Amino acid sequence: MDKKLNTKDLINIGIFTALYFAIVFIVAFIGYIPILMVIMPALCALIGGIPFMLFLTRTKKFGMITIMGALLALLTFLLGRPWLSILFGVCAGLLADLYMKSSDYLSIKKAPMSCAVFSLWIVGMALPMYFGYRDAYMESLRPSYGDAYVEALTGLTPGWTFWALIVTIFVAGLLGGFLGTRILKKHFVKAGMA
Amino acid sequence: MKFFQYGNEGYKSILDPRTKLLLLIVINVVIIGTGFTGTDYVLRVICAVIPFVLFLMIRRFRTALLYALVCGFMLLAERFLFPSTHGVLNLIIVITLGPFSRILVGYAFAYYMMCSTTVSEFVTAMKRMRVPDAISIPLSVMFRFFPTLAEENRAIRDAMRLRGIRLTGKNGGLLRQIEYEVVPLMMSTLRIGDELSAASLTKGLNAGRPRTHICHVKMEIWDWALVLLSLGFLFYMLVLR
Repeated sequence: MDKKLNTKDLINIGIFTALYFAIVFIVAFIGYIPILMVIMPALCALIGGIPFMLFLTRTKKFGMITIMGALLALLTFLLGRPWLSILFGVCAGLLADLYMKSSDYLSIKKAPMSCAVFSLWIVGMALPMYFGYRDAYMESLRPSYGDAYVEALTGLTPGWTFWALIVTIFVAGLLGGFLGTRILKKHFVKAGMA
Repeated sequence: MKFFQYGNEGYKSILDPRTKLLLLIVINVVIIGTGFTGTDYVLRVICAVIPFVLFLMIRRFRTALLYALVCGFMLLAERFLFPSTHGVLNLIIVITLGPFSRILVGYAFAYYMMCSTTVSEFVTAMKRMRVPDAISIPLSVMFRFFPTLAEENRAIRDAMRLRGIRLTGKNGGLLRQIEYEVVPLMMSTLRIGDELSAASLTKGLNAGRPRTHICHVKMEIWDWALVLLSLGFLFYMLVLR
């Protein structure tokens, strides 16, 4: 089998990335309600699992998942996240890719795990809230949004929630993977499409 | 599907796709990174005006008007409403309007980019930037695919409404709603993907030869002006502030 990516693979990456991004994007809109902002990344990972599992049925070569991660991160970067989020996308994609490669992209048991690892690219989206960015970000909000908002946001997201965020995204990604598997079984295997 | 047409008729795209990409990044950096006072605010207003003018240039008058109304309201709210309220009222206003005012301009510009750039122009510009095929092909496919997705989704929604599937009622439930909407979308994605690959094979994308094109992609004086402007903005954001 040809191990290099051909045009068909690249086109598949393109359409699945578009589908994935569109779905995550719509889910992400509920994050504009601040209380739900905390669970928004997990919800994105959960729902995003469905298209991602379908994507996995089309990946047979190394590099496809990595490129998808890089593209997603590139899009979030274009929409104004810090450039570090690209790193997250590439790394998460690469890890998920390597994990699937260990079974030659055949094992359906490994797929949910790979989905969970891949979901970690979403961490990059939430990056401005944490680490070195945190204080600067909060201070930049203060003059314009007022103290009340900043206090509320700071109260909602103490530093340790970053690790909690990673864990919740991972778990949600895993669940999303299982959800995706079930939906694939229910609809696509029957129709001979997966 | 009047909103998402990306054909070449009815407008003359005045900007190079590369300029649009740079502008998109810079506008988002400015809009997300600045406050609502002094020079910051001037920058915000300038950035907000850019998509409006561009919408007019591609003759999207309705979009331009809608954008101007919403964006004008946001800018005024940022300037006068946010600082003049306190306590709970301030919190409510900021929570409802704040995040929205941070994404509106960037998304409007992204929308302009989608409407005003043909896939051919986009691919050519990426080739000029020496982007490898592994990135440029998926990206241009995505670019072409978003409008299609919107169209398919609308058709699926219509079909759902026709059969009486709603959020509430007998066939209700959020999860089921998601399933009913996402699964057909994925089905059509698969089909369209296969068709696209076939089409690109027919067009010889796989032939391993340099791609030929007839579209006009060149940096004109407008492009350089906007590039200078965005570099100035970046300089302000990264160095002066």
